[in-house]
Amino acid sequence: MSDEIEYTGICKTCSHAPTCAYRKRSDKPIWYCEEFDNYIPAPKKSTSSGLISILEDIQARYGYLPEGSLRVVAEKTNRSLVDIYGVATFYRAFSLKPRGKHLISVCLGTACHVRGAPAIAEEFQQQLGIRAGETTSDKEFTLETVNCLGACALGPIVVADGHYFSSVKASMVNSIIEKTLAGLDKVEIKTDQRVFPVEVSCSRCNHSLMDTRHLIDGYPSIRVTVSFNHKHGWLALSSLYGSDNVDSEYPIPLDTIVNFFCPHCHTELIGSSDCAECGAPMIPMIVRGGGVVQICSRRGCKGHMLDLSGTIID
Amino acid sequence: MKKLSSISELTDFRHRILSEKKFEHEKLTLVVSAGTCGQASGANDIIRVIKRCILERSLQENIEIRVTGCHGFCDTEPSILVEPGLHLYPKLSIEDVPRVIEAALTGDIDEELIYREPQGQKRYYCQSDIPFFRKQTRTIIASNQKLDPIRIHNYIEQGGYAALEKVLLKSDPEWIIREVQESGLRGRGGAGFPTGKKWELARASNNGKGQKYIVCNCDEGDPGAYMDRSLLEGNPHSIIEGMMIAGIAIGATKAFIYVRGEYPLAIKHTIIALRQATDLGLLGENILNTGIDFDIEIVRGAGAFVCGEETALIKSIEGYMGEPRQRPPYPVEKGIRGCPTCINNVETLANIPVIISGGAKEYAKVGIPGNTGTKIFSLVGKIRNTGLVEVPLGIKISEVVYDIGGGPLGKAKIKAVQTGGPSGGCIPASMFDLPISYDSLAEAGSIMGSGGMIVMDDNTCMVDVAKYFMNFLKGESCGKCFTCRKGTQRMYEILDDITKGKARLEDLDLLEELALVVKDTTMCGLGQTASNPVLSTLRYFRHEFKRHIVDKRCDAFVCKELVGAPCQSACPLGTEAWRYVAHIARGEYKEAYRVIREPNPFPSICARVCDHPCESKCRAGTTGGEPVAIRSLKRFITDRFDPSTYTPKRTEWSDGEPPSVAIIGSGPAGLTAAHHLSLKGCKVTVFEAEAETGGMLTCAIPSYRLPRDIIRNEIDSLLDENITVKCNTALGKDITIKGLFKDNYKAVLLAMGAHKSRPLKLENEDVEGVYPSIEFLKAFNLRGELHAKGKVGVIGGGNSAIDAARVAIRQRDVESVTILYRRTRDEMPAFVEEIEAADQEDINIQTLVTPVKIIAENGHISAIECIKNELGDVDSSGRRRPVPIEGTEHTIQLDTLIVAIGEDSSTDCIDPVSESEIEITKWGTVQADSKTFLTNLPGVFAAGDLVTGPNTVVEAIAAGKKAAVMIERFLKNEELVRPAEPCIPKVYIEPVAVDDEMQKAGRARTPQAPAEWRKRSFAEIEVSLSVDEATREAMRCLRCDLEFTKKPEVEEKKTLPIGEKMA
Repeated sequence: MSDEIEYTGICKTCSHAPTCAYRKRSDKPIWYCEEFDNYIPAPKKSTSSGLISILEDIQARYGYLPEGSLRVVAEKTNRSLVDIYGVATFYRAFSLKPRGKHLISVCLGTACHVRGAPAIAEEFQQQLGIRAGETTSDKEFTLETVNCLGACALGPIVVADGHYFSSVKASMVNSIIEKTLAGLDKVEIKTDQRVFPVEVSCSRCNHSLMDTRHLIDGYPSIRVTVSFNHKHGWLALSSLYGSDNVDSEYPIPLDTIVNFFCPHCHTELIGSSDCAECGAPMIPMIVRGGGVVQICSRRGCKGHMLDLSGTIID
Repeated sequence: MKKLSSISELTDFRHRILSEKKFEHEKLTLVVSAGTCGQASGANDIIRVIKRCILERSLQENIEIRVTGCHGFCDTEPSILVEPGLHLYPKLSIEDVPRVIEAALTGDIDEELIYREPQGQKRYYCQSDIPFFRKQTRTIIASNQKLDPIRIHNYIEQGGYAALEKVLLKSDPEWIIREVQESGLRGRGGAGFPTGKKWELARASNNGKGQKYIVCNCDEGDPGAYMDRSLLEGNPHSIIEGMMIAGIAIGATKAFIYVRGEYPLAIKHTIIALRQATDLGLLGENILNTGIDFDIEIVRGAGAFVCGEETALIKSIEGYMGEPRQRPPYPVEKGIRGCPTCINNVETLANIPVIISGGAKEYAKVGIPGNTGTKIFSLVGKIRNTGLVEVPLGIKISEVVYDIGGGPLGKAKIKAVQTGGPSGGCIPASMFDLPISYDSLAEAGSIMGSGGMIVMDDNTCMVDVAKYFMNFLKGESCGKCFTCRKGTQRMYEILDDITKGKARLEDLDLLEELALVVKDTTMCGLGQTASNPVLSTLRYFRHEFKRHIVDKRCDAFVCKELVGAPCQSACPLGTEAWRYVAHIARGEYKEAYRVIREPNPFPSICARVCDHPCESKCRAGTTGGEPVAIRSLKRFITDRFDPSTYTPKRTEWSDGEPPSVAIIGSGPAGLTAAHHLSLKGCKVTVFEAEAETGGMLTCAIPSYRLPRDIIRNEIDSLLDENITVKCNTALGKDITIKGLFKDNYKAVLLAMGAHKSRPLKLENEDVEGVYPSIEFLKAFNLRGELHAKGKVGVIGGGNSAIDAARVAIRQRDVESVTILYRRTRDEMPAFVEEIEAADQEDINIQTLVTPVKIIAENGHISAIECIKNELGDVDSSGRRRPVPIEGTEHTIQLDTLIVAIGEDSSTDCIDPVSESEIEITKWGTVQADSKTFLTNLPGVFAAGDLVTGPNTVVEAIAAGKKAAVMIERFLKNEELVRPAEPCIPKVYIEPVAVDDEMQKAGRARTPQAPAEWRKRSFAEIEVSLSVDEATREAMRCLRCDLEFTKKPEVEEKKTLPIGEKMA
């Protein structure tokens, strides 16, 4: 389940602490919030071992390590700021400077190097007008070089916002930048072959969940009942595999874990597996003709799984 | 998922899964390899389209889909493997998917999409027959394609957790350690420490802390190695099982998997696997009611190479900077938080279930003593089949590179493999017979490392490789040891100087000394091995270092500061191709002609027959597009100017009476030398054995490629009052070298070329109707004799074979022409465009055939007996040797046979005068110094094909010119060799404004006369470009020169709009 609301990494939901956007997993403490930096619960276990993953979590949220966050981390882990700074600067993955909206990593591993990666890196530098490790002045792009991404057979490799490009040639650089700017996840719903409708039914009563009167993306939607934060109402999901469009009675705040119910038999749609992306429970539905589709119950998470031979495993 | 609560429940659970699976045993399954590499090439799209097809056609009951980790053959991705037949469909696009499904449903194979060997058209219908797979021993990695890594059921179905079951039932940790020791397994992380020994030490270790740890090291920092990622990503449960067995063996209850942050998919799959194993009751407290606790936590690395070193890794897990510490104490005594910690590599752990399930004795049968089992290598770089290969230890490098890897990627020759990442070294191709083992690689100056095997070819600069690793290491050195921190920095600086042409030869000694000091005086593995890349390249590729330092050349065209504009450095004459191309774009044709003519006395000839090394190095081509058609642009310019209008700069001979120089041979080398010496004021006499000047230009190259008047004009423009030409005067017959010196010639240049066709050495080669190609071409080109009749056969695959064939087909009494070549078409040495032209002119090209017998009737050839070849092992040239297939002998009826299997230097004329004592090499060429062109006799120089063997026109011109410079210095009693300068652009030419469309446009095609018309004509085939075409083509130039030239500051800033100032 996902939506179009864009969040920039600044906490907007602190007024309802239980659904704070920074709180990805319930067992993870919130380390830093630019708006409410007094709201920082103590970590459950005070071990230093977590430091690197704490910094990784912060970086995952903000795209870099804000100074304030390092101060808070130092305080909460009972380690000196110098110590934290040491760790933050020792590892390549951390950045102390804000980064751009899009991250382009050019692999400079040996295999990529002998296949001409330096020329690719140079082409990116020239086209973006920045050097590796820098961010464009419009804060759109950050360019970095990495030591090896482990896809050596297909070098030179470039990763833009998590999308891999293989056997990159200098002549492809321009189009990679353009595609990244346009959004790499974007699919043309009407023409893309990878998008197709999936008809589903309730995993308990087997009643169809398709709503032919309520169309989304031009197809009958999947209608379920949802409950969250003491609210209870309907939710219509696009039946197109590959589309994230939804419609709902009440707006659902981002990152809320929602309970799904069958509108016909009123049982909760719940399976036994968790989302591979975020760990929230997955919602199973039966695919017409055989198979199961599961979607993540967390608003904003795109975790899903279409298993055409599978049955629901207890 | 129901939690299992006893060992027997696990056994039952497996039986249940297997019995359910029985019904589906032969079910059609589409397997998609979707590891990181698969996803990078688009596997996710393939999966979606398969699902779409299944849904749309309701095929759920007929087809199963399995999404797996990497299968190893990454080069073929995205691919679909169809089970049960194991049909591999490589490099699919989403449009191909419905076809694959259709074929699978009907039980057919799609002939067009099925895997084919890249060279040759042979199809392989079964995955296990493909050479890449056939020669491997895939004990570990083969599991990847059998299971979906996010489904624990799949793993159990494949016998997963059976080893754990066995261990739990035995309940004897000592037994586990004995088994692992007996198996001979050595750490796959690189150092090769015996795993059983490590476990024994860890088990015995007891420092009173109680807790012990197992760590799985997946900080695969070696750039170029990715088997650990592939294993963790594709089969995470096998690693978990290995860790649990290790934990039981040493008595650890807590474990960490340390994964690089750069491997998001591996992290994701591991998290899912850990969750599933916990849910099933295989991890956590009191596992299967055995009283054993075991818990695994995943730790993400944050990008520090040094963290692969075990003490640094411990620091990192503890949450500190990953700085190594002194050992001992080893981690098995004192590791995480002071507790005994056993650190094993991913691949090592993946081997554990195999050893436990199959038994140590079985395991030890694979490999060689001291190096048992298999090792996965990532075979990447400049090689055809890239991917992960699993081979028994002890296999030869050549088997991996050529048999599995399929040899070089293009025409470039493989030069070396780099193993062991930044701590390893480069092993040259001459040592590819080396069996791969921990010890042999160390002896060769490299290491096994985690198994990266990066193949390098002629386009890889070894100095640059050493510099690359040093740059990497200086960045990754943690800084704790001074010698590592500063040493890597200084080594980098020296290497950088070398690549920029700023180093001196003494620097090599300094570099070596520095490397040895760093090796001896640092604490951890990173520092101790940091010198390996430098030391191994210096050991095997010192000549490349020297070439950079002394000649200021980078033959791989990698080191920018030495290459300058690649077109210019690639030209043997150093022609500033970028410069005249820039002038053409600006419409300045006169300037362009001057730039072309200045270094090259034969521009119109080169515009037609040059093999254009400039184009093959053109950056527009090497960066993914098509090279600028530089030769066509040269033709465009030279067609506009009469060679006689150019007046070169002349100087008077300053040292008294001008000396006389004798030049033997009037080919491109001889005439160029004559021209150059004449410009310097020397008196030159050119002796030519034939009736006409021009050498190979006139006697071998057919007029449809090079019209005779073009040759005449250009030669005539060079002859002046300083040059005397004596035709029909042959060395050894009419003149001798000694005689020339007696006649007061002060220097002699030998430039007779290579006019002697190599014989087949078959019986009946002397019968009528059999001609050596040069003789055949000479007879026609010089005397107009038509020797070819009826059915013509040409043996050979070089330019001279194609020339002979194309001349033959134009002769009156010829019925058909067939070229017979012993290797494949890809390996024909002739220019590609020549081969294509031959095709168009209906010349039949048969490859993989060798003549074995010439059949004659009444003293005239009547047929030739041939045998078919198949490709065998790789020979010394890096190409696969043609091996005759017995029983495939067949005869081809022929009236004429032309033998064109190569030419030898024309040293015959020297032999009769061997009293002149000119040294000849074992290849029959004249021995001359590569820099001074001097032979063993004082005052006698040699250049061109005579020295190199058959070579290109432009090489001959360049050699003639360089030899002339040497002769001039010799006559003036000057030092012959002077320090070299890098050949980089010096003149600034204002670029014209180019719009994007123009830059994206394809290469201009030179118009050609239609094949039907030209088959019967000797008129020139290629037509010149139009002004418009030429301008557009010139604008495609990337202007590499601008990086080196500076715009003069006084000049006004103004770019020329397109079209302005055009002629």
